[in-house]
Amino acid sequence: MTKHDSHAIADVHHELHSHLPPEPALRAKALESLLVEKGMVDSAAVDAWIEAYSEQIGPKNGARIIARSWVDAEFRARLLADASEAITDLELQQGHLIAIENTAELHNLVVCTLCSCYPMGLLGMAPTWYKTAAYRSRSVREPRVVLDEFGVGLSADIRIKVWDSTAELRYMVIPQRPAGTDGWDEEKLAELVTRNSMIGTERDLSKYVGAQS
Amino acid sequence: MDGIHDLGGRHGFGKIDVNEPEEQFHDPYEARIRSIVNAMSRAPDWNLDWFRHCRELIDPVDYLSRPYFDQWAQTYCAMLINSGWATVEEVSTGKSNGPGPQLPPPMSAEDVRAAVFSAKRFDAPIEAAPAYELGQAVRASTSVPTGHTRLPIYARGRLGRIANHHGAHVFPDGNALNEKNHEHLYTVEFEVMELWPEATDVADTVSLNLWESYLELP
Repeated sequence: MTKHDSHAIADVHHELHSHLPPEPALRAKALESLLVEKGMVDSAAVDAWIEAYSEQIGPKNGARIIARSWVDAEFRARLLADASEAITDLELQQGHLIAIENTAELHNLVVCTLCSCYPMGLLGMAPTWYKTAAYRSRSVREPRVVLDEFGVGLSADIRIKVWDSTAELRYMVIPQRPAGTDGWDEEKLAELVTRNSMIGTERDLSKYVGAQS
Repeated sequence: MDGIHDLGGRHGFGKIDVNEPEEQFHDPYEARIRSIVNAMSRAPDWNLDWFRHCRELIDPVDYLSRPYFDQWAQTYCAMLINSGWATVEEVSTGKSNGPGPQLPPPMSAEDVRAAVFSAKRFDAPIEAAPAYELGQAVRASTSVPTGHTRLPIYARGRLGRIANHHGAHVFPDGNALNEKNHEHLYTVEFEVMELWPEATDVADTVSLNLWESYLELP
């Protein structure tokens, strides 16, 4: 039986601090070996997940949604109204999803100050920086300085909305469609959409237009 | 709890590594841990909030210094021990000293294909009407639970505005104790001027998703 008790868990962590093998890779190996021996994990399933991460899961999924929102106004309206429902047409899923749009006057930035909540089904693994104390502590307090570090210099007249993911809702930023892309199809537009632009740590995608055209 | 994990607004953590390579995992062990966690058998009384709480309770020095997926591995080790499924010696050596728990078989490679794009949601129907309406001013609670909670320290006692309503979601403070209660969940928007004494960008905001129990009338 699980003892849902904070002190009990803290005590176990203190004990593990001095008992687990010294390297992360060794700790991972010990955990997997033990779970296999106890019949609690099938290594073939672990391998299948690793393959899925390398082939199916990643920011290309989110980029497809953004590109569609740039060419299809009706889809964009549905995406903003109920993103989870809107993306079922694309055979993509992400639990309870909220899409938020950048405009000429507004920039959105997503963070999870309490852990590392992230729309993994659409963007893949969160970058390490997203999970660091530096990003989590500073994004809510000095977002303009954080954005400067990412090379996003925002003029003072552009408002910032920071979204702290404190519940089971996942946010995806819809970046602005860059100029010079008239007539491009969805597939070509999707190539312009970066992971960071969907988190909000990148804003202007026009620098990628030349490379595509 | 006033834990080390509650980092919003803390000072002193330095610059962000904006040049990190874009690959999903930077070391094979990271992908391994993430995938083990996805594929392993779970106790019926484990859930996402219990996991989060167990990670929050890592020794604060480890929380700030150990790599992310390494913390996941240690958190699952702690959960296995706490549930009586393994001992400290077993998770340290990787060798089992006894039979595993009686559980349904773990996920197979075949099961993974169906699980990759899971659409799991945490909202549920509720009879009670929401206590707050869109646009209404609300104050975040100042009470400090000793266990798991999702109201960050930086928002406590601050005045915000209801910006959205998302139906009822499982209440994390209770869920971490394996108590399933649903409460209305809102997006509450706070002006940065209300949150931070040094703020000057009057139009900037920070939005949080907060459950009804975290809110009161101003």
